[in-house]
Amino acid sequence: MKISRLCGFAFLLLVGWNVMAQTPPDLTGVWGVYRGGRGADPKLAPPPAGPLVLKPEYAKPYEARRALEAEASKRGEQLATAGAQCIPYGVPTMMSVAIYPVEFIQTPKQITIISEAFSEVRRVYMNVPQSKPDDVAPGYYGRSVGRWDGDTLVVDTIGIKPSIPGYRGMPHSEKMHVTERIKLVAPDYLHDQITIEDPVVLEKPVTYTLAYKRMPNYEMVEFVCDNNREYIDEKGIVRLQVHDK
Amino acid sequence: MTISQALRSCTLLAFAAAATPVFAHHSFTMFDMTKKITLVGSVTSFEWTNPHSYIEIDVPDEQGAVKHWSIEMGSPSILQQSGWKFSSLKKGDKTTLVINPLKNGKAGGFLNTATLPDGRTLGNGPGQNP
Repeated sequence: MKISRLCGFAFLLLVGWNVMAQTPPDLTGVWGVYRGGRGADPKLAPPPAGPLVLKPEYAKPYEARRALEAEASKRGEQLATAGAQCIPYGVPTMMSVAIYPVEFIQTPKQITIISEAFSEVRRVYMNVPQSKPDDVAPGYYGRSVGRWDGDTLVVDTIGIKPSIPGYRGMPHSEKMHVTERIKLVAPDYLHDQITIEDPVVLEKPVTYTLAYKRMPNYEMVEFVCDNNREYIDEKGIVRLQVHDK
Repeated sequence: MTISQALRSCTLLAFAAAATPVFAHHSFTMFDMTKKITLVGSVTSFEWTNPHSYIEIDVPDEQGAVKHWSIEMGSPSILQQSGWKFSSLKKGDKTTLVINPLKNGKAGGFLNTATLPDGRTLGNGPGQNP
C-alpha cells in the first residue's frame, strides 16, 4: 500500500514536471527595447553582434554608400532613406526601431508581433511547415512559421523582398532566410537571437541579438504616418517642409 | 595586416556597435543641435501626428512683424513619455519654445523645451530634457 502510494506520487510528480517542461512560456505583452548599459546584468543585456561580412561584389557598393552617408552627414545633410519616406522596415529590422516597443500576442496556432513604429504586423504560424520559396510572394514580412524548442520559440522566415534594406542596411537576395530564437532569459526579459543567411550576398551567416524588457500595463500608441513633412529633394537629401505664411 | 584589412576590421567594428535604427524616421542632421533659439509666440496649430508632432507658431519681433515657424517634435509615443498630451497646446495659446534651428536657415526647428500656458515646461521625449 505504502509503496503503491509512493509510486503514484512519483508518477504525478513526473507528469507535472513534463507538463511544466512542455508548456511554452507566455510571451504575450508589450516589450520595450533593453540595451543594458553600465552596471547591467550581462545575462540580460544583448550579447555583442557577430560580424557582417558581405561577399566582395556586395561589400564594395555597400561601403561606398556608407561613405556617402558619412560625407553627407558632415555637410549637415541626410541621404534619403526608406524610413524618412515612411516606408516600413519589414523583417527583421522592425523587431527593434529606435525606442519603440513591440507587442506579442500569443495563441497556440499563431503568434502575432506588432511594432509600434509604423504599426508593422507580422504573423508567426505555429507548428506548420514552411512554404516552398516559390509559393511566397516577396514582401515586407514574408512568411513566418514557428515552433517551440523547449522554452525557445524558433521562428523561420522567408520571402522578404530584396528591395527592402536589410540588417544595418545590408543588401539581400530573395534567398535571405531569417531564423530567430526567442527566449525569456529572466521573467521580464526577452532575447531575440536573429540569424540571417543569404548564400548570394553573405560570406557567412550573421547573428545578432535584440533584448527587451517587459512593459507591464503599457498600451500601444497608434502610428499612422499621415503627416510626413520630410521630403526628398532633387539631390536625394532629406528636407523638412516648413509651413511659411 | 594590410591597410585595407585594417580598414575592413574598423568598418565591421563600427557596424557592430548599433544593431538597430537609432531613428525611426530620420536623423537630427538637418538641425543645428549646437545652437538654441528661444521663440515666444502664439500657437496657430498643434498637430499630434506621426511620424512627428508639430507646433506651428507665430512669433512677433520687437517691431511687431510676425514670422511663422514650424517646429518638429518627437512622435506621440515618444512625447507622452515627457508628459505631453494631444491637448497640451491649442490654437491661440501663448508659449515659449526653445529650439534647435534648421541649418538651411528656413523658419523651422527641432523642439528642446516648451513652456505651456499652465507654467509647466516639457521636453521632447526621453533624453530630451527636461
